[in-house]
Amino acid sequence: MESLLTTPFLTALLAGSLAAGLPLLLAGLGEQMSEKAGVLNIGLEGMMLLGAYCGFLGAWSSGSLWLGFLCGMLGGLALALPMMLLCVWLGLNQIVVGIALTLSAEGLTALLHHVQFSQSYPRLPRVDTLPLPLLSEIPVLGTALFDRHPLVYLAILAVPLLAWLYRSSLLGLNLQAAGDRPAALDAAGISVIATRSLAVLFTGAMAGLGGAYLATVGAGLFVPFMTSGAGFIAIVLAMLGRGRPLWVLLGALLFGLCLSLTTALQVAGLRVPTDLVQMLPFAAVMLLLLFFGRRAALPAALTRPYRRGER
Amino acid sequence: MKLGLPLPALTGALTGALFLAGLAIAPAFAQDSEVNHIAVLTPEQPNDFGWNQQAAKAARAVGEALSIDVTLASGLGYGDVRPTLRELAAEGADLLIAHASGYNTTAPEIAEETGVPVAIVDRPDLMQPGLVADYTLSGHEGAYLAGVLATQMSRSATLGIVVSGEPPSWNSQSAAFAQGARASDPDIELRYSVIGPAAYADAAGARRVTDAVIAAGADVIFGQGNGSTFGILQAVETNDAPDGGKIWFIDVIGDKSSIDGGHLLSSVVWNLEPVYRAMIEDLGKGTFGTRGYSIRLEDESLYLLQSEHIPAEVWERVMEVREQIVAGEITVEPKFEAEAVRALMTAVSD
Repeated sequence: MESLLTTPFLTALLAGSLAAGLPLLLAGLGEQMSEKAGVLNIGLEGMMLLGAYCGFLGAWSSGSLWLGFLCGMLGGLALALPMMLLCVWLGLNQIVVGIALTLSAEGLTALLHHVQFSQSYPRLPRVDTLPLPLLSEIPVLGTALFDRHPLVYLAILAVPLLAWLYRSSLLGLNLQAAGDRPAALDAAGISVIATRSLAVLFTGAMAGLGGAYLATVGAGLFVPFMTSGAGFIAIVLAMLGRGRPLWVLLGALLFGLCLSLTTALQVAGLRVPTDLVQMLPFAAVMLLLLFFGRRAALPAALTRPYRRGER
Repeated sequence: MKLGLPLPALTGALTGALFLAGLAIAPAFAQDSEVNHIAVLTPEQPNDFGWNQQAAKAARAVGEALSIDVTLASGLGYGDVRPTLRELAAEGADLLIAHASGYNTTAPEIAEETGVPVAIVDRPDLMQPGLVADYTLSGHEGAYLAGVLATQMSRSATLGIVVSGEPPSWNSQSAAFAQGARASDPDIELRYSVIGPAAYADAAGARRVTDAVIAAGADVIFGQGNGSTFGILQAVETNDAPDGGKIWFIDVIGDKSSIDGGHLLSSVVWNLEPVYRAMIEDLGKGTFGTRGYSIRLEDESLYLLQSEHIPAEVWERVMEVREQIVAGEITVEPKFEAEAVRALMTAVSD
């Protein structure tokens, strides 16, 4: 056992938790805003996937990770635009449109990958990190948590920022009203359509950024279908978060930690069926649902298109 | 005008002539029922340098060699492929090769429905004479050699096995890799991890898991996955071994030499051409579905890739073991159960 409890192994596990959790955090924070405003964005998986493709393409062709992140956000936005047009402006079924967008993104990115990368499979070089002074010197935890890519710190900073936005700003109030009582928001002279559109676009950008992080920092390459359902897990985290960004952060970290724990148990040679071990992250989310999901209050007008004067 | 023959005699003569004509054209019909068109269904695009690409490559090679049409339906995913199977059957395919374990429930259903024979993977229990054949491919003999090679090349005496799932084919290779490694060095440590449930495209997960296995001391990684394999490759290329040296990667199924960044030590390469050819021959002989198909070192349908990174003396030792396997002096029994694989790994309690 001692042979495994080494600093490099424990560091790799903790760093892996963060790497697995961060795309979920970014996409989950985006989805949370969309849900708050009354739009269930089932297309999140597709937005992440297109963001992953665009992010990788941008980073690989320019040599800049930041440009890759920007391209990833634009990719997510590109898929959020039809979501906004079809669901917010035209009032079509959000679930049907979301599934269609995800399937389209899967097909499109697989095709683009086939044309561009299938003979060469380009990969990005090792990513530079930004060690935080003092914190990064803490044994094990320091390297694992405080010697990461700057986007990790920015993503975590976004959590209190969004919490403030929802609690203390007019925009936060408008978003809440767009999801709970859109007619009241309309009566107050604020456009429900504009508020929901903004939320959907923000979701697309955040999901795209999450996908870009997954492809550039997480994997260092792009392969078709590489999001492997991360978008759907992010939707669950956003729902569990009940409008609180901190809960999305905790859920994403818990999921990442459980994923790392499954690796640790297997590497340690634990002789239990792998299927059981692999269930751990999903079981953790289900437990969360069991204890906290019951109290999850989803916006009253979630998935309902808004049409002025309609009851 | 009155016919010169009585009616019963005329009827008899006509019947006889028809019978003889039937006999004469029977072989021509039998010829027509032979395979003129095969279709291969793959879950991902045939550009993965692995499972999907090897199937496409083999089908094309067989098509060219036997002058038969080949339809490749690729990128079908792991969902319901019934519509595609029906469409290919309607287009006149004489054999449907459903090249994913995820298709082995639906493909036999469509075979029953359309009468077109199908080949499935990993389910020998579903074989039906004339209709359903199984090819549970296992490169276990090659993986045994890979284990021998890895032990010779490891500096830390710790090897890693990273897989994206636990289908029977990969279990048998993981087990054989462990057996080969232990045969070379009984004290070698083996670290095993599955990326996730059916994480065939989870490149980020593969990288994360491989990072951890490397951090646990492994300096040679035996990786089995489809798209996720590239994540393993990325981890190997961007990490240093505990001693600061290079980490080696041993791949399976395909040959990634053309995209090697200097870490591809070898690969257990599957050549499916003899398998597909045997299926077509069996259909012609009427023995399809009465036996399964395999790949072996003996007929080169299975071989270990020799990269430039392998020192000559190490390769010589590996080839000696190969000869012993071919000669039957070493028997590598496939272990298809995941439990058997885990039992071979190093546990913290050991």
